[in-house]
Amino acid sequence: MNVFEKLASSEEMVSPGISACVGCNVELTLRTVMRVLGPNTILAIPPGCMGGVGVVGWDKKSGCKNPVFFPLLDNVASMLAGIKLHYEHRGEHVNVVAFAGDGATVDAGMQCLSGAAERGDKILYICYDNEGYMNTGYQRSGSTTKGAWTSTTPVSPQGKGGKRQNKKDFPMIMAMHDIPYMATCNPAFIPDMVGKVEKAMAVDNGLAFLYIYNPCLTGWGIPSDKSIEVSRMAVDCSFAPLYEVENGRYTLSYTPKKPLRVQEYVSRIKKFSHLGQEEIEALQKLTDTKWQQLQKLCEMD
Amino acid sequence: MPRIEVMNGNKAAATAAALCRPDVIAAYPITPQTPVVEYLTQFAADGIIQSSMSEVESELSAMSVVTGASLAGSRTFTATSSQGLALMYEPYFRASTLRLPIVMAIINREMISPQTLWGGPQDALTVRDAGWLQIYVEDNQEILDTLILAFRLAEDKGVLLPVNICYDGFYLSHMAERVEVPDQETVDSFLPPYVPTHIKLDPKRPMAVDPLTNGNLLTEYRLRHTQGQQRALGLIEELDKEFLERFGRCYGGLIEEYRNEDSDAVLVTMGSMTGVARVAVDQARAQGRKIGLVKLRAIRPFPAQRVAEALAGKKAFGVVDRSVSFGWGTGITFQETRSAMYASGSFMPALPFIGGLGGEDVTIEHMLHAIGCIYAAIDGAAPAGTVWLNKEITAE
Amino acid sequence: MKYISDYIVPIGPEGLYIVDTGKWRTRRPVMNESTCKKCGICFLYCPVFSVERRADKSYTINYDYCKGCGICANECRFGCIEMVPEEER
Repeated sequence: MNVFEKLASSEEMVSPGISACVGCNVELTLRTVMRVLGPNTILAIPPGCMGGVGVVGWDKKSGCKNPVFFPLLDNVASMLAGIKLHYEHRGEHVNVVAFAGDGATVDAGMQCLSGAAERGDKILYICYDNEGYMNTGYQRSGSTTKGAWTSTTPVSPQGKGGKRQNKKDFPMIMAMHDIPYMATCNPAFIPDMVGKVEKAMAVDNGLAFLYIYNPCLTGWGIPSDKSIEVSRMAVDCSFAPLYEVENGRYTLSYTPKKPLRVQEYVSRIKKFSHLGQEEIEALQKLTDTKWQQLQKLCEMD
Repeated sequence: MPRIEVMNGNKAAATAAALCRPDVIAAYPITPQTPVVEYLTQFAADGIIQSSMSEVESELSAMSVVTGASLAGSRTFTATSSQGLALMYEPYFRASTLRLPIVMAIINREMISPQTLWGGPQDALTVRDAGWLQIYVEDNQEILDTLILAFRLAEDKGVLLPVNICYDGFYLSHMAERVEVPDQETVDSFLPPYVPTHIKLDPKRPMAVDPLTNGNLLTEYRLRHTQGQQRALGLIEELDKEFLERFGRCYGGLIEEYRNEDSDAVLVTMGSMTGVARVAVDQARAQGRKIGLVKLRAIRPFPAQRVAEALAGKKAFGVVDRSVSFGWGTGITFQETRSAMYASGSFMPALPFIGGLGGEDVTIEHMLHAIGCIYAAIDGAAPAGTVWLNKEITAE
Repeated sequence: MKYISDYIVPIGPEGLYIVDTGKWRTRRPVMNESTCKKCGICFLYCPVFSVERRADKSYTINYDYCKGCGICANECRFGCIEMVPEEER
């Protein structure tokens, strides 16, 4: 079955109407991922965009056809570990999945995630990185790119400001936990994402982590129809490369055929519009260094 | 056949938990609770229990793992003390408002700062309004027995609330006593398996758990929660009687009264210091004072009616607290007790005592001094304000 | 006491919560099926899965929940989808 047949023939698990922003690629990611995961899935949605748009539901109604709940912002992985222990104790297989933003993953929930990874809790943790606490008004997170405007790292009319620190390289942090499977994805590469979700689902000897880079249209300042186009540019300039780490083996999923400069990517995004030449060059240098590191890791046996 | 063993409070707690067949256990070590975790992991390694154990990386995770497992339908157990309880406060509050029948032993320890490790119920008392049921016990047999009872209480369909069994760090946790351990069959007959019907994360019964909720609906859930606590008032008394029938021991239910029928004044205590209070009451009685003792067991739900009945018609009472209610400058259970007396229409002199903080010993002399103050109050010469029972007993 | 809910605890077992996002549109995608190459790109990248795949492997747009984002029109490499203003309702 090709990816079109797979997605078309699988059941839509999320409510058809959720109040995600027009063109939101996190909504695209969630719907795609849930079509692959299917009804035998318990889904954790911590406070954040997807919780805010109704994926867990309101009052007495649900946002999904499968079981779904709100963990706390800081304990997603641990609650899932407990749920998984229950089903393992009974010898029943259930997909136990987190769909969490970078706030819940890279910041507040990092302790629980790191502990679960170290213990080998058999959960699938999917992080959608829109580089901030977007649902509550675009506050910065540890995953926000250096220089970016956010509501808590704003920019003066003279163009001074933006986040002062580099972005946490979270996929690499998770890879270094030596978990069985870590992969980066992008909403502009849906067939690649589907394959990686299937691989992650099949992991039965530890934690599987999927990291999805989701440019936020409203929070970053990208026109809604350019959602996929700009997401693709993030991969094509190697700012958000696609790779997999399977049992310690690093492989590139995609090498850009026509590599872009970081400048071209950044110029499409309003939150970077105040950046000077120096800052953009620094971002290019950082991207180049990380790309080289990744290449070297992929060369290893 | 029950067996007799010499064991400390932590082993009593671990033994009781093991007998209740929890499906999932997750606990993070903290002094003075650590041996509970060690005993349980040893039981698991020895094959005595079949529980799934999770070696979590902090108390936040401990309560989170246990909450997740309980939401999926497991019977769960955990244990902690002071700083750990504080660290898990976020998921702790939620465990009760999600009506999960988790049982947690709290090995009461004084809260930092100053830097301390030693026993005292400040930790659990401070979080008494997070919705859990809380019962405080006096000795190791009571730890074991009440912990078994706690699962029955928590899982009752009219209650469905998590329960804390609280016992003093070091005074009970690390002190060895003779304990009778019931056999597995008797415990199984008292405690049937847990089958959740009110909330479950299960693909076979899909539902949203904890969707965003409007205020009116939230209010209703809060009301139902209070109803669960009220139901626990009666159930704790019923289960105490059933426990007597099955296991041969009982503890008076919500409170225990000692030499209180013909008393004219009452000393109120809680936890391990009650043992000292009993001795002091006997000594005071031998000197002609008709003092009675009320031992508070349940703090949540607060046994207002039982307390009011036990103190009705007395001329004065005093409450010895091993805790501080900072804004009042008295102990915490003093506030609860006095509130119950007002509700019942009794306004006799009420004396607050604070002693034993930071794990310091509450001695017979301290208790006799408190009794002396209570009788002084009857004669209109009550000490002004809270009496702090320090190393040297001070009259001020 | 008359309760709003039959449940003692916050659960959502009464079906799906659905927002009528079709009403959000200010412009709608119109597909020219005669020029459509059936590549499936619009199907893969519609965030609300409003592009449906028929049994004969052709594609059509379902307007129930389409928010009018324009991704399908932007991603189509053959210019088969055009965004037109949404009519007055």
